[in-house]
Amino acid sequence: MNLYDLIVKKIKDIQGAGDDSAITNMSTSSMLTAEITLISSILVALIMLRMVSKILMIVAVLVVLLAVLVAMPLMPRFKKEQNDSMDSMLFYVMLALAIVITLFYWGNLNV
Amino acid sequence: MNLLIPLMVIVPILCALFLNLLHKKDRTIKTIAIILALILPALPILANYGLHYFGGYAPLIENPTLSSNLPSLITGTALNTFHPAITYSFQGAQKIFIFILGLVGLLVVFTSLYETRRPSGVYGYMMFMGIAALTAILLTDDIFNLYVFFEIAALATVGIVLVSNVKGNYETALKYMILGSIAAPLLLLGIALLLGVTGNVNITDIIYSLKNGLVNPQNPVLLMACGLIVFGWLYGSGLPPFHTIKSAIYSKALPSGAALIQAFSVFTFIALGIIILRIFSYLPFSQWVILGVSLLAMILGITMAIVQTDIKRMIGYLAVGELGYIGIGLGLGTAFGITAGLFQAVNEAIITAFLFIGFGTVLYQTRISDTRKLGGMMARNPLVALLVLLAGFAMAGVPPLNAFQSKLMLIQASINAGFPELGVIMILLSIVTFMTFMKAFHAVFLRPKPADLELKNENIPKATIVALVVFLVVCLVFGLFPQVITSYLQPLATSLTGGIV
Repeated sequence: MNLYDLIVKKIKDIQGAGDDSAITNMSTSSMLTAEITLISSILVALIMLRMVSKILMIVAVLVVLLAVLVAMPLMPRFKKEQNDSMDSMLFYVMLALAIVITLFYWGNLNV
Repeated sequence: MNLLIPLMVIVPILCALFLNLLHKKDRTIKTIAIILALILPALPILANYGLHYFGGYAPLIENPTLSSNLPSLITGTALNTFHPAITYSFQGAQKIFIFILGLVGLLVVFTSLYETRRPSGVYGYMMFMGIAALTAILLTDDIFNLYVFFEIAALATVGIVLVSNVKGNYETALKYMILGSIAAPLLLLGIALLLGVTGNVNITDIIYSLKNGLVNPQNPVLLMACGLIVFGWLYGSGLPPFHTIKSAIYSKALPSGAALIQAFSVFTFIALGIIILRIFSYLPFSQWVILGVSLLAMILGITMAIVQTDIKRMIGYLAVGELGYIGIGLGLGTAFGITAGLFQAVNEAIITAFLFIGFGTVLYQTRISDTRKLGGMMARNPLVALLVLLAGFAMAGVPPLNAFQSKLMLIQASINAGFPELGVIMILLSIVTFMTFMKAFHAVFLRPKPADLELKNENIPKATIVALVVFLVVCLVFGLFPQVITSYLQPLATSLTGGIV
């Protein structure tokens, strides 16, 4: 099985039986582009941690890189997660509220 | 001429009410809507800069007749400078924002009137009410007044989706309202906490209280208020985690409605973003949050856009991603960065409307938005294809179009501020934006026409073509002469960094 077939198989596995949309060349290449963009953007963004500590930046980049390599492909999972279901929307809204309030309240008090 | 300041809000409200009353009187609706839509961009051009006080009077310090009869208990304290009225402030930046909102509103109304067989008074009501609400949000210096219009804008957005007659619109509108029923009261709670601590809802007075030691800026209640207002800002603008529902809302509206709703999102984003910077700039953390959320919006929005198959959803996600660029500018916190962010906001409002209306012509002709079922539209409408291609170039930041200038400024600002990584990410995501657009363009215009694709409408209305040409001209003018716009935005950006406003 060549690399392309492997990628298609992975996307199919994550997509599952619930989604009957066909996996075309265009959708696979879109997914690959999104995957590469996502990973490279996150890794470049993590370099900004150098403002806090260079060691923290190196550790974070290595940990995220390792995690990404293990969990690849991320984008089909991301797409599946960011769906229009009310349950997942409400879950992420509540999670975001908790993060924002925690960061503002304790982040500012302890800086 | 300061009377024109309230008229910027009153005219669209009156127009909205008339259109609703005159529903089914087609010719009257068309005439009133076009005349009043033409007034929308004209009012900010004609109005002079200044303040307007609703339901009260100017601060006592500016009103010696009134203050001379008052005890020193009032005139000798901060009460002398406070604004005992709902204050609307009209300056250079507001002039540009309201002009652009009015222009997008005019072209959207113009397009929608000619793309429907019978103009709907109710649809017109929603559009004008939304424009009025956003104009008020941009003008008001009163945070509670802002909340009222924030809710009106959210309801107008839901209304625009409800009357669209697109499959699944009711469900999406209901979901948006449910999520709004969580986020908007939390925004109100944030405002209430701010009122509780400072005793004021006027933003200038709140800043005065914080800067002059009338209240303790490190009060934990203020931190909570900031967090809640930021959460409301995420909802109003469609930033993560609200990016999914916001893109769904765009996809369930008519193209003209989506063009207007995205302008609402852009201007809500900058209005609330500016307020967060004005009030909470003393918390360095607030700028980090703006940067972080914007980065997340860019990455999630653009990576989600490229994997979509529905054109409207694709542009919807791209619109969310582009909001991130504006936020990066605001979050950098430098005068140059904020100017670049505000310029990007102006450009995005135009370009995304341009794209929605451009791709909307395909929907008008085929009633299909799924790229897998489309193709061959270039042969039908080469002129429209060219205009849409240029709109895509504009969004990706291709010179000499407007977003090239604002994105270049943003990259320069991020390097100057010591964040070259942000510049790298912005360039990378601009390339992916271009790829996303080209994917949609290829599927709709370049690919051979599928055998089973039927055209429901042969000819695109001339009004739509005119609207697209006007958008292109604006993109070119702003791209070739960016200083025309940035000169209006710079004073606001400078005052935000100096904390004077």
